[in-house]
Amino acid sequence: MSVDERFSAIRKGLLEFLVLKIIAADQVYVADILRALNETEFRTQEGTLYPLLSKMRREELVDYEWKESEAGPPRKYYKLTAKGREELRETSEYWQKLGNLVKNLGQK
Amino acid sequence: MNIVITVNLNGNAFQLEKNGYDTLREYLENAARQLEGNPDKAEIIADIEQSMADKFRTRLNAFKTVVVASEVDAVIAEMGPVQSAEGGARSEGAPAAAATPSSTGADAGSAGEAPKAGGVKRLYRINEGAMVSGVCNGLGAYFNIDVTIIRLLFVVLTLFTWGGGLLLYFVMSLVVPAAESPQEKAAAFGGGPSTAEDFVRRAKAGYYEGMRTFRDRDAHREWKRRFRYEMRGWSRDFKREMRANAFQWRQNWQAHWGQPNAWWFALPLIGFLKTIVTLGGLLAVALLVANGSVFGMTLPAGIPLWVGVLALLIAINLVVWPLRAMKHAIYFSGGYGGPYRVYGGPAIFGPVAGMALVVLVLWTADHHWPAVHAALLDIREHLRHGIDAVRTWWNSH
Repeated sequence: MSVDERFSAIRKGLLEFLVLKIIAADQVYVADILRALNETEFRTQEGTLYPLLSKMRREELVDYEWKESEAGPPRKYYKLTAKGREELRETSEYWQKLGNLVKNLGQK
Repeated sequence: MNIVITVNLNGNAFQLEKNGYDTLREYLENAARQLEGNPDKAEIIADIEQSMADKFRTRLNAFKTVVVASEVDAVIAEMGPVQSAEGGARSEGAPAAAATPSSTGADAGSAGEAPKAGGVKRLYRINEGAMVSGVCNGLGAYFNIDVTIIRLLFVVLTLFTWGGGLLLYFVMSLVVPAAESPQEKAAAFGGGPSTAEDFVRRAKAGYYEGMRTFRDRDAHREWKRRFRYEMRGWSRDFKREMRANAFQWRQNWQAHWGQPNAWWFALPLIGFLKTIVTLGGLLAVALLVANGSVFGMTLPAGIPLWVGVLALLIAINLVVWPLRAMKHAIYFSGGYGGPYRVYGGPAIFGPVAGMALVVLVLWTADHHWPAVHAALLDIREHLRHGIDAVRTWWNSH
């Protein structure tokens, strides 16, 4: 089992965190999120992203508004809600803690 | 040249090649199934359809107005399988491919099948494109065989079983549920590969491998061992699936035939008739072989003995088949062994007790009811008349 496979479950769990981060940086629509993710280890497809975004919206972490685009139909632009920002802050802190833990564990 | 089907993807009309349409429909039905119970299902599907519409649009221009099948495959590969993001059992069961990098280009061929994984294939009747009630259509989808072949098989079966195939069809049209909801339709076509399909695949793989190593004795033995092992596994799966199906079918059957146990009394009678016919038939065969004639009827010149025997056996089956079908109908509608619970004793005494009951009733009626006595004598008379009539007809031709 390669490292890649072993960590697929972890990556899957982290996806929501990353999507929060991407949306926090800028108002984005789905293609932007995909582009940002596809430059990383976290390559993702729409089939996964749409259900995830809808879940996050139901949990009131993100919200969207319709915006006209230069080409084609209006798009859903996502942004973080207050609750989403709070969630992102907590998750970032926890991630920091985990990182330190991994770094310091076993060292004398 | 290809048939083109126009579809509406979230308010955008597209013309798709027929097989591309089939792939797309399967993908969307699977997506709908994955999102079953998700409160935002409609919205997610709309998003997915819109995104696919955008992707299709980039592939079209003023001089290319039809989306071809390979483009549908490519777009589906870009979209990736739809996976519910909900926590709990559903997303745990789904493959953890969410963040696994995948080379979208290379996956184009197999991606159409990817969303199939998970889910169970079930036998349904499919009314779209059906000739009668969709039984053959459903079987074709289930075994992934061209429906025309299934229809032909049914016709051949009907010819060889003297109508048995027709009866089977009738029963299946009552018992096999029709696929109505989108999930049911998806399950009729998709789900995982059916165990039957899997069996064919494994059998083929095993066969070819076996052929390749045929000269090597050890390898041959090893192949046989493994083949048998795999077949056993398959048969276990198949049985499990059949049990699941049978449960549903039985319920349907009961729904159609009401209170079936009311017919239990007919069982011994049918069994009795069946035995008489079979014994009579066998006697006729024995007579034919021994004397060359049955009840005074001789074989026409030029027809060999074996043809006569075959004809007799077929004639016996012709009479026995409906009886057997009736018996089975009563059996299965009452649940396994249902009718015999009437006797309370072990199942094996059922037929014996039933037979005894029938004989007792006949004997009592014969002795104490002159009308029955006369009727029974008449039966003998009628039987003789009947045989005479057949014999006359036979010899006159």
